[in-house]
Amino acid sequence: MNANALPRLAAVLGIAVFAILPTAGVPAFYESFFYIVFFWVSLSTSWALLSGFAGYFSLGHAAFFGVGMYTTATLTTQFQVPFLATVPAAAAIAALLGIGIGAVVFRLKRLRGELFALLTLAVTFVIATIILNTPIDGGAGVFMSAVPMPDIMPTQTGTIYVLGFAMCVLTLAIAWKVAHSRLGMGLYAIHDDEDVAEAKGVPTFRYKMAAFALSAGIAGAVGGIHAMYVGFLTVGGTFELTVPLYVVLMSVLGGSRHWLGPMIGATVITTLLYAFISGGEAMIGRAIVGLILIVAILWLPDGVVPAVQQWLRRRKAAEVEPVAVVVPVVPAAARPVGDRNILEVRSVTKRFGGLQALDGVDLDVREGEILGLVGPNGSGKTTLINVISGHFPLTGGTIAVDGVEIGRLPAHEVAGRGVARTYQIPRPFVNMTVLDNVALAATFGGPTRPAAEIRDEALHWIAFTGLAGKEDSLPAELNLHERKFLELARALAARPKLLLLDEVLSGLNPAEVDNAIRLVRAIRAQGATIVFVEHLMRAVVELSDRIAVLNEGKLFALGAPREVMRDPRVISIYLGKAYAA
Amino acid sequence: MVDRMGTWRRRHVLAGVVGATAALAAPSILRAAPSGKPVRVGGTLSLTGFLAQTAQIHKIAAEIMVEEINGRNGFLGRPVEYVLLDDQSKPDVARSLYEKLITVDKVDLIQGPYATAPILAAMGVAQRYGKVIIQSSMGIPKLQTYEMAFPATPFGPNPEQTYPNVILDAMASLPTPPKTIVILTSKFPSAQFMAQGMRTQSEKRGVKVLLYLEYESGNRDFGAIAARVKEANADFLWVGSLGLESNQVLEALRKLDYTPKNHFHLYPAPGPLALSPDGKNALCSTFLEPAEPFMSRPGVARQAAAYKERATKANLPYAIIDAQAAGMISEWQILEAGVNGAKSLDDKAIAAFLKKNTVDTIYGTLRFDGPYNHGNAEQLIKQAQGGQWKVVWPTKYAAPGVKLIGS
Amino acid sequence: MPSATLLGQALISGVLAGGMYGLLALGLSLSWGLLRLVNLSHFALAFLAAYLTYELGTTYHVEPWWSAMLIVPAMFAIGVAQHWLFDKFKVNELASLLITFSFAVVLEVAIQLYWTADYRRFETHYSTLSIKAGPFYIPVLELVLCLVAGVLAWGTWLWLRRTYVGKALRASAEDADIAAAYGIDHKKLAYLLSGIGAGYAGVAGTFIALIATLAPAQIWAWLGVVFAVVIIGRLGNPLGALFAGMLIGASESLAMAVLSPAWAPVVSFSVLIAILLWDPDWL
Repeated sequence: MNANALPRLAAVLGIAVFAILPTAGVPAFYESFFYIVFFWVSLSTSWALLSGFAGYFSLGHAAFFGVGMYTTATLTTQFQVPFLATVPAAAAIAALLGIGIGAVVFRLKRLRGELFALLTLAVTFVIATIILNTPIDGGAGVFMSAVPMPDIMPTQTGTIYVLGFAMCVLTLAIAWKVAHSRLGMGLYAIHDDEDVAEAKGVPTFRYKMAAFALSAGIAGAVGGIHAMYVGFLTVGGTFELTVPLYVVLMSVLGGSRHWLGPMIGATVITTLLYAFISGGEAMIGRAIVGLILIVAILWLPDGVVPAVQQWLRRRKAAEVEPVAVVVPVVPAAARPVGDRNILEVRSVTKRFGGLQALDGVDLDVREGEILGLVGPNGSGKTTLINVISGHFPLTGGTIAVDGVEIGRLPAHEVAGRGVARTYQIPRPFVNMTVLDNVALAATFGGPTRPAAEIRDEALHWIAFTGLAGKEDSLPAELNLHERKFLELARALAARPKLLLLDEVLSGLNPAEVDNAIRLVRAIRAQGATIVFVEHLMRAVVELSDRIAVLNEGKLFALGAPREVMRDPRVISIYLGKAYAA
Repeated sequence: MVDRMGTWRRRHVLAGVVGATAALAAPSILRAAPSGKPVRVGGTLSLTGFLAQTAQIHKIAAEIMVEEINGRNGFLGRPVEYVLLDDQSKPDVARSLYEKLITVDKVDLIQGPYATAPILAAMGVAQRYGKVIIQSSMGIPKLQTYEMAFPATPFGPNPEQTYPNVILDAMASLPTPPKTIVILTSKFPSAQFMAQGMRTQSEKRGVKVLLYLEYESGNRDFGAIAARVKEANADFLWVGSLGLESNQVLEALRKLDYTPKNHFHLYPAPGPLALSPDGKNALCSTFLEPAEPFMSRPGVARQAAAYKERATKANLPYAIIDAQAAGMISEWQILEAGVNGAKSLDDKAIAAFLKKNTVDTIYGTLRFDGPYNHGNAEQLIKQAQGGQWKVVWPTKYAAPGVKLIGS
Repeated sequence: MPSATLLGQALISGVLAGGMYGLLALGLSLSWGLLRLVNLSHFALAFLAAYLTYELGTTYHVEPWWSAMLIVPAMFAIGVAQHWLFDKFKVNELASLLITFSFAVVLEVAIQLYWTADYRRFETHYSTLSIKAGPFYIPVLELVLCLVAGVLAWGTWLWLRRTYVGKALRASAEDADIAAAYGIDHKKLAYLLSGIGAGYAGVAGTFIALIATLAPAQIWAWLGVVFAVVIIGRLGNPLGALFAGMLIGASESLAMAVLSPAWAPVVSFSVLIAILLWDPDWL
C-alpha cells in the first residue's frame, strides 16, 4: 500500500458513509445538522478559492451566496421552474456577477488588499438594496413553502442533506483539483507576488477571473440549495454582515491556502455554535465560542492545516538530515556571438506622469551575447528592463524579440516568448518552497511538459545554481546570496532566449561575486542571451561582450567594454561619480 | 456533545420547574399536584442575535405559564416541562433545532418561536412531522398555510384590511377628522404589509395620502425623512415602525421643531415611546394592556403581577405586561385548552379540538375556524397619556374615563 | 421636485449625521493605517462606552460629559491591553480582524448579560435641541459631535504631521526600521496609538448613548458604513476619515430626500464604488 492509498481509501469510505446516511434511519436533526456543516464547508471553501489561494481578500461573499438564494427563490416562485433546475442557474448568475466585478476590478492594479475587500463589501450592500427595492423581494420576503421538493430521498430533510452533501463533495473536489493544477500554482504565486507571477508567465488576469468565477459560482449554487432549506428569505437575513465574517473566520482557522483547511475550520466552528443552543446557556455559550476562537487564532494564525503540515515537516526534517549537495559550477567556454538580433529596441519612450524615464532608446542585442547595461542612478536602466519584460506598458516605440513585436503584450505573454528576468532585490514567492518557486517558473515559462519532467528540470536548475539540499526550504530560510541564486534558478527554469538580470551582484561579498560571475558565464554557455544591469565595474568589464551606457533616458554610448570605459564623455557622466561614490 | 448539554440543561430546568411547582402547589392543598413522567414541550426563542430584544419577554411569560399550568393539573395530570433552545435569530438554525426537538429529544408537543422568519421555518418542520404549532407574532396571517398552525394573537385573517379601518374609524371620531395622511414604514415584512393596507384603505375612504415612504429596516439617520414629513405636513402621520424607529422619527421631527398632529406607530418598543416626551398622545397598536376591562379576565391580574416581578428581577427596562408577553401566555393557554379538550397529547386530536371549539385566553375568547385558522380581528389602539399606555379604541375596550385625544 | 429647503435641510442633517461615521472611523483608521491592525471590536468598545454612559446617567444621574472623563481613560486602558496581546503574539492584519471580531462577540454577550437585549434609551433634555438658521434647523447635539470630532481629527492630524513623534509613527507604518532610525521606540508609540484609538471609541460611545438606540446587536449596525468611511478617507488619515464620513452621510441623506429612502444605501455605496474606480489623487 503506497502513501496515497490510505487517504484515498478514507475519502472513498467517508463519502460512502455520508451518502447512505439518510437511508440509515438516523433522526432528521442529524441530517439537518450535517447539512448545515456541509453548507458552511462549501461556502468557506469557495471563499478560499479566490481569497485564500490568490490572496484577494473578499468581504462580499454574502453577495454571491445571496444572489444564488434569490435566483432560486425567484425562479421557483415567480416562474415555476423546478427547484433542481434553478441551482445551476443560481451558480451561473453568481459566477457572472463575479466575472463582471472582476472584469472591472482586476484591471486596476491598485484595487488589492483592503480596497478589494471594501469594494466587495460595497457591492453586497448595493445588491441587497436593489433586491429589497425591486419585485425580486420588495421587502415582503419570499416564502417558498409551495415549491415542490424533488423526491431524491424518502424525506425532505434527506433530500436537502444529499444535495448539500453533493455540493460539498463537488466543492472540495474542485478545490483539490485547483490546488493541484496549473491554475492553483498560478493563484498561489499571485497570492505571494502578483507582479512577479505575471513576469514568470502566469496569466494573472485570466486566472483571477477563473478563481473569482469559480468562487462566486459555487457560492451561488450553495445559496440556491440553501434557499430551499430556509424556506423564507428576507434581505436582512440573507445579506447579513456576520455571514462573510464567519466564512473568513472558518477559512482562516482551518488554513485558507490549503484546499482542506476551510473544511476543518467550518466543521469546528459550526459544531461549536451548535454546542451551546439550549436556553439556559445560549449567551454564555456564545461568549465561550468567541474566546475559543480568539485563542485559536492567536496560537495558529495561519490555521490548523498549515500548523499540522509544519509539524510534519519538522518531524521529517529531524529524521532525515538533508545532505547539501553542492554541484560545482563548471565554467564553460563562451560560444561565439551570432549575427542575428535577438532583441531589437526601437525609439522606446516611457513616461511616468511628468517624468521622462526613457527618451527614444535604440538598442540591438545579438544572439548569445552578454550586454552590460550601465549608467548613473535614475538613467533608466531598470525602467528599460521593466518595459522589455512587459511590466510597464510602453509610451512609444517598439520592442521585438526574435523578430516578433512584444512591446504591447502583457508581461506573461512576453515571458511566454522566452524573456525571463530577475529582480535587484530578490522577490521569491515567500510561501512556496525553493522547489515550487523554480517549478512554477518552469511550468509557466517553458514549453508544456508533464509534471515529473518539470520537477526534474527544476531540480536541475536548483543544483546548477548550487541550491541543492534547499529544495524544501522556504525563501525566508535562505540568505541573501542564496535568494539571489534562487532568482537565477527561477529565470533559468523558464529556458529563456533572453535573460534580463537586474543587479544580481549587489550586496554580495567578493567570494560570492566570483561565484556569481562563473554562474553567469555558465548560463551563457547554455545558449542564453543576457542583458545585465550592474554597478560593479569589475564584473561588467569581465563579463560583457559589449556595454551600453544610458544617461537621462537616452542611449549615451555603446561598444566594446574597454573602449566605452575609456570614452571621456562616459567617464565624466558616469564613472567619475560612481568611483567618487 | 450536543446531547450531553441537553441533559445537563434538562436536569437544570426540571429542578427549577419542580421546585416552583412545589411552591405553587403547597397552598392549594385540594388540588392534586401533577405527577409522573413530565410532558415535554419544545420550542426555540431568539435568545441571542438581533431579535433578542423580545426573547427575554417571551421566556418570562412562558415560565409563568408553565408554573401556572403545573399548579393546576399539568397536562393530563403530568407535569409540564418547557425545553427551550436558542435559535440565534436565524431561521436556518430554528429549522434544525425544531428537528432536534422532534426527532432527537422527542418532545411531546412544540410551541412556536418569535418573529415571522423563524416561525415559518418551524412551521415547515411541524408540517412534516404532523405537530400542532401555536405562534403569537406572525403579522402576515396569509403565510400561515399549514392546517395545524394556530395563531395565539387575534390579528384576524386579513389585518391589512381590517386594522387600517379600525385606525381610520378612530380618526373619523375626532372633532376634526384628518383629511391627509403621511405613511412612513420600515421595509420589515409585517410592517410593510400593514402600511400597504393602510395606503389602500386611506385612499378608499377619501383620506389623501400625501406621502408614502419606505425606509430600510435598521435605518440610522432620519433627518432627511423627517424633513420630508414636515414638508408634507399631513393631518395624520402613520409610522410602520419596529423597536425604536418611532422614537428616532419623532426625535428627528422635533429637531426640525415639528410636532406631528396625530401620529400612529405600529410595533414600537412600548417603554421608550411612552416615556419619551415626544411620545405624547402617540397612538399605537395593541391587543391588551394591564387595565380594565382586560384585568377582569380570569388570571390576568395574577399574570401581570408575576410578569412585573420577574421582568424587574431580570433587569428589563419596561417591566409591564403588554401584547408581546400576552402572546406567549395565550400560546400556552391555547395549548393547555387543546390538550385538556382532546384529553390527549395527540397532535391531530388537539388540532381537531381547537378547530371546533373556542378558547378563553388572556386575549378573550379566540376562535380558529376562519381562513388561515384565524378568528375575529381584535387589534386595538392605545395611546400614550401621561407616560402610560391606555387603550382608547374601540371604545368598549377603553377603561372608564379614558378617551382618544386628537389634535 | 423637492424644495430647496428640503434639500438644504437634508444636506445639513446628512453632514452632521456623517460626523458620527467620521468619529467612529477615527480610531479605526489610526490603528488600521498606522499599526496595520483592523480592530472590529472598536464598535463593541464604543457601545460598551455608550452603555456605561447610559448606566452612569440613568442610575447615578452623572452628566455624560463627566462620565466621559472616566470612560475614555478606561477605554484607553482596554486599547493598551489589546495591543499588549497583539504585540505578544505578533498578530498580523488578517488575524487582528478575526480576533477582534471574536472579541466583539464576547463583548456583545457581556453587554447583553448585564443590560439585557432590550432597548435602552438615555433620555436627556438636550437630545432634541436645535438652532434655527433661516429656514434650516441645526441639531445641537450633532453639531457638538461634529465639533468634537473635528477637534480630535484635526489635533491628531497635526500631531501626526507636525511633531517628531507623529512623523516617526507614520514612518514606522511604512517601515519599522525607519522608526528605529529616528531613535524612537515605536513599540511604545504603538501602545499609545492603540490606547488613543480605543479612547476615541469611548468618545464616540458618549455620543452614541445620547443620539442612538442601545441594543447589543446594534454593535454590528455601523460596521459596513464605517469601514467604507475609513478607506475612502485613506487609512491613517484622521481628517480624511471625518470628511469621508460627512460625504457618505450627506449622500445618504440627499438620496433619502430625493428618492425613496430605502434606496439610500445604493447611492452611498455607489458613490464609494465610483470613488474606488475613479481613483482621485486624494485617495
